[in-house]
Amino acid sequence: MATSPVLRLDSVSCWFGSVAALSSVNLAIAAGERVALVGPSGAGKSTLLSLLNGSLMPTEGEVWVLARSLNKLSGQSRRKLQRQIGTVYQQHNLVANLSVIHNVNAGHLGRWPLWKAVVSLIWPQQVLVAQQALTQLGLGDKLYARTERLSGGQQQRVALARVMVQNPAIVLADEPVASVDPARSHNVMQLLCDSVRQLGQDRTLVVSLHDVALAKAYCDRIIGLRQGQIQFDLPSAAVGEQQLTRLYALEDAA
Amino acid sequence: MQFYALCRRSVISGLCGFAFLFLGGCGAVDSGDGSSEGTDAAADTAADVSTASVEPLSIGAIPDQDPEMLQRLYSRLVDYLSAELGVPVEYEPVTDYAAAVTAFKVGDLDLVWFGGLTGVQARLQVPGAQAIVQRDIDESFHSIFIANTASGLEPIDDISGLKSLMGKTFTFGSESSTSGRLMPQFFLKEAGVALTDFKGEPGFSASHDATLKLVEAGSFDAGVVNEQVWLDRVAAGEVDEGKVLAIWQTPPYYNYYWLVNADKLNAEYGEGFTDKVQTALLNLNASDPQQAEILELFGAEKFIETENDNYAEIEAIGREIGKINE
Amino acid sequence: MLSDLPTSDPLDPQRVKSLDALPDSTRSHRRRLAVGLWIALVIWALWLSGLGRSPLINWAGLPLMGQFWAAMLRPDLTPEFVGMMARAAVTTLAFAVCGTVLSLGVGFVTGIFCSLVWWRVFWPGRSGRIVWLGLRGLLVIPRAIHELIWGLLLLGVLGLDPIVGVLAIAIPFGAITGKVFSEILDETPTGPLDALVNSGVNPGIAFLYGLLPQALPNLISYGFYRFECSLRSAAVLGVIGAGGVGYQIFLSLQSLRYEQLWTGFYVLIVLNGAVDFWSGWLRRQMGFVGRLDLAKGRETSQPLTNDTFKQKGRLVWLAWGAIALAVPLCFAYLEIDWSRWGRVRSLLAEMAAQVTPDRVLPQFSWSLLPLSLQTMAMSVLAITLAGLGGIVFSFPAAQNFFLPGGLLRSAGESRRWSVGHGAMLLARLLLLGARAIPAPIFALVILYGMFPSILPGALALGLHNFGILGRLMAEVNENLPDGPVRALRSLGASAGSLVFYGILPANLARFLAYGLYRWEVCLRETVIVGLVGAGGLGRLLTEQLSGFDYSGLAATLSVFIALTMLVDAISGWMRSAAR
Repeated sequence: MATSPVLRLDSVSCWFGSVAALSSVNLAIAAGERVALVGPSGAGKSTLLSLLNGSLMPTEGEVWVLARSLNKLSGQSRRKLQRQIGTVYQQHNLVANLSVIHNVNAGHLGRWPLWKAVVSLIWPQQVLVAQQALTQLGLGDKLYARTERLSGGQQQRVALARVMVQNPAIVLADEPVASVDPARSHNVMQLLCDSVRQLGQDRTLVVSLHDVALAKAYCDRIIGLRQGQIQFDLPSAAVGEQQLTRLYALEDAA
Repeated sequence: MQFYALCRRSVISGLCGFAFLFLGGCGAVDSGDGSSEGTDAAADTAADVSTASVEPLSIGAIPDQDPEMLQRLYSRLVDYLSAELGVPVEYEPVTDYAAAVTAFKVGDLDLVWFGGLTGVQARLQVPGAQAIVQRDIDESFHSIFIANTASGLEPIDDISGLKSLMGKTFTFGSESSTSGRLMPQFFLKEAGVALTDFKGEPGFSASHDATLKLVEAGSFDAGVVNEQVWLDRVAAGEVDEGKVLAIWQTPPYYNYYWLVNADKLNAEYGEGFTDKVQTALLNLNASDPQQAEILELFGAEKFIETENDNYAEIEAIGREIGKINE
Repeated sequence: MLSDLPTSDPLDPQRVKSLDALPDSTRSHRRRLAVGLWIALVIWALWLSGLGRSPLINWAGLPLMGQFWAAMLRPDLTPEFVGMMARAAVTTLAFAVCGTVLSLGVGFVTGIFCSLVWWRVFWPGRSGRIVWLGLRGLLVIPRAIHELIWGLLLLGVLGLDPIVGVLAIAIPFGAITGKVFSEILDETPTGPLDALVNSGVNPGIAFLYGLLPQALPNLISYGFYRFECSLRSAAVLGVIGAGGVGYQIFLSLQSLRYEQLWTGFYVLIVLNGAVDFWSGWLRRQMGFVGRLDLAKGRETSQPLTNDTFKQKGRLVWLAWGAIALAVPLCFAYLEIDWSRWGRVRSLLAEMAAQVTPDRVLPQFSWSLLPLSLQTMAMSVLAITLAGLGGIVFSFPAAQNFFLPGGLLRSAGESRRWSVGHGAMLLARLLLLGARAIPAPIFALVILYGMFPSILPGALALGLHNFGILGRLMAEVNENLPDGPVRALRSLGASAGSLVFYGILPANLARFLAYGLYRWEVCLRETVIVGLVGAGGLGRLLTEQLSGFDYSGLAATLSVFIALTMLVDAISGWMRSAAR
């Protein structure tokens, strides 16, 4: 079992109208890997992550998560599988008007029955779990603050806490450092990696990044995407100038 | 030529209506003889009779029974009156008692078919207004108290029996209806029943038919309706007599009549015009098929004379109950 | 009363800022207080209605109610009657158009004079603010009085003429529009205005150049919504000689011709549906997200730039052309006799003679208090029912939830016709029917199956307003930013959890704002459901109107106005607490 990949794409293509966001992508990621997706804007990084968490369906091909085909499932079984994937979004996608505790507790929603979810809105459940996650991220005192009143960085950490509470097998992160200054971006990546490690050594992280240096520093495998295709898929150490120049080359130079 | 004009108008109105649905225009000029169009039709007919420069005689009515027949009733009557009187006549649709009284007061209605109370209200506000004609049945009109069979109320022999309504829910008809409110309230008072003696507040169903149905439904234990409506609905089989029964017929009183703004009309169309109107109405004859239809629609065998003094009692009761504040 | 439109509150920047300054604990304290107060109000209203102390449902009357609903399937479709209804529909439409145009005109002017920013520019300081407060207070008077009562009052002054129907819409709706427009003006960024004023430009011109162009598109957007309201109102006004569908419906109602009634309802449903659809389409074409984009704040609405106009192209221009054509046509169609203004003064003086202090003051009595409480209770129950129903139905009625690919569907489903489509269609039809059918008719039908109390009245008003709120709330849902909800869904949350963790938290404040705005409307509408045997002040008003007791009427109306002010104040406070 250890050898079967947790994430697998079988010749996946994804079209938006007449534009191919991804074409015939094959990919396998094993448990415990930390993978960075790099590439220029519009290369298909976000599309790939959306396919992996099931918010997008491929036009062709199949997406396998934990050895089950995501696009063949629906309803309850699909949700059950989705619980195993946590996502940190670029826009955080938190519910602004809820207090922090509820946004963190939203990580439980895949497991909680509806009544418990509703009750928790009035009497927050599993406060300790949320408290612990927030404390680790340095937000222990913001448990009952309104989410919309936190700073962008704080909101990102709430989103991270939501993922930790969700406790998934796979964590996806979409451009977590896109709007953060260089000094802070190390901080964010460190938190992200620490959080995933905290969950367990077998947890997988897939993160899309612009900054290859960051990718090399925090991930053990880098996938270069360009125009919807995988340009290279190498261990971090093996990625050099040559690959990067080709990856980021402007259109006419390519 | 006329036909052509008519076609063109309908085409315009059709196009405009169409344009509205898609673009937000609004239906436009339309010919026809529908609701307010009844007026047009009347004016058209009248134009044949008299010159267009004469202000039309405006007639109106407060619908109290079978009001959806108003349209038919009044276009017949408009035709008849304009032919008889030699002036254009138009019918103004008003369905609210207070609105009709107000319209009469400000001079927008010249000849109105009023109920007893509303007629007095209108007459007191217009100097020289005269009650001229009423139906044969209006001389001794009755209201019928009705009750739901499950309410335990029984038919009563005399007015004091109304006391059995105490502690029951009760509904009147329209607030200013003579037969559905004023006279019943008066008789209740005579019997020593105050409005506060009912269970809860009395309802005001707005029409006799609604009263009938609400009592039949049992929502109210009892109610009161105009006798004409009651008999009519019973005859038509529209009343479930297993559920609603008549418990008492009131003593007779004067009701509906034609009230005319005599001073205004005499000034406008010449002295004696009011008499002409009265004669025209009195002349309605059941042997003429057209006129018979008018009489039938009014539910009358014939029209008879009446006068202001006949309504002194209603006026007194109206003041007592607070419906007349002049 | 944004019956209209939550502009004022949800986006009032000042208010938002001042609230943001409050610590969280104070805010949640206030919110808890507001919720507690509302629950207390509802319990009190239910107690007053006699719930639990007397039988509620009249089982024996249900068959009669059934007769009404059965007629739904067999409306009167005889050609003459349908033709009559179609012509009546044109009349109703003409009234709605004329009423809307006038009310927008009135609203534009009063809106400017009732905006704080106007007084701030023209009369800075305390005294300007006091004048502003006074004007805002005066604006309650026309709003508090129902269109039907305006109609009857105007009839006494202007006589039997279509102008009465038009003004009966234009006066109260003009005041409502004025209130909303003044709020729009006050929320418009004042940077450009201040820049002009500070550079020595005449304040009037500065206003014209710096503020109005920014605010006008919002007024236009709101105007379309007003048009929908005017249409519903025109349908009720038929009774006072205004003709149209309302007149036909009330004739049929009096003799209980259910088949004819339903023909009328279908005409109103088609008319309302067409107008709603068209106004929604045009607004979207002009770059407004919905009626509610005012509520959402300016970030979502794009002002009418030349670019958007060019893009949306000819259809929009054509629509504007049609409007420009339709307005004079409608005025011409109604054949308004403008010469009637000549006699207004004498008739008004006659009416005013009865309304002198020495005649009115004795009319105030403690007996007005229980009636006021009844009215209040009925409005509270009505708006609670309408709000709860509206929230529930706003989900299936919104396009973005249950349709395939919607937020509450899992992504793996097929995209063909589905239960979601059916549910949306059904929910929308139900809402449309509820708002198209006038409340007094609901009141009569409900009364067949219930015993008289304020409850049938509240139910009837609740049902009608539910149709309006449900639609507004569905639009709120449709404009929900979907990121957070999709995020929750992709972590495997069920549809139910999405509602409670993603959608309601984001939209509830807006739902409440709509509901609270609508509360004032429910209060005013209690006047038209007086037949339920517990009509409160509304019943007294109709009694006084039918007895031409103007001094009594004046007293009752003042109480009604005071009640409206109270409701206005409570709802304002609650809306700010709900944020």
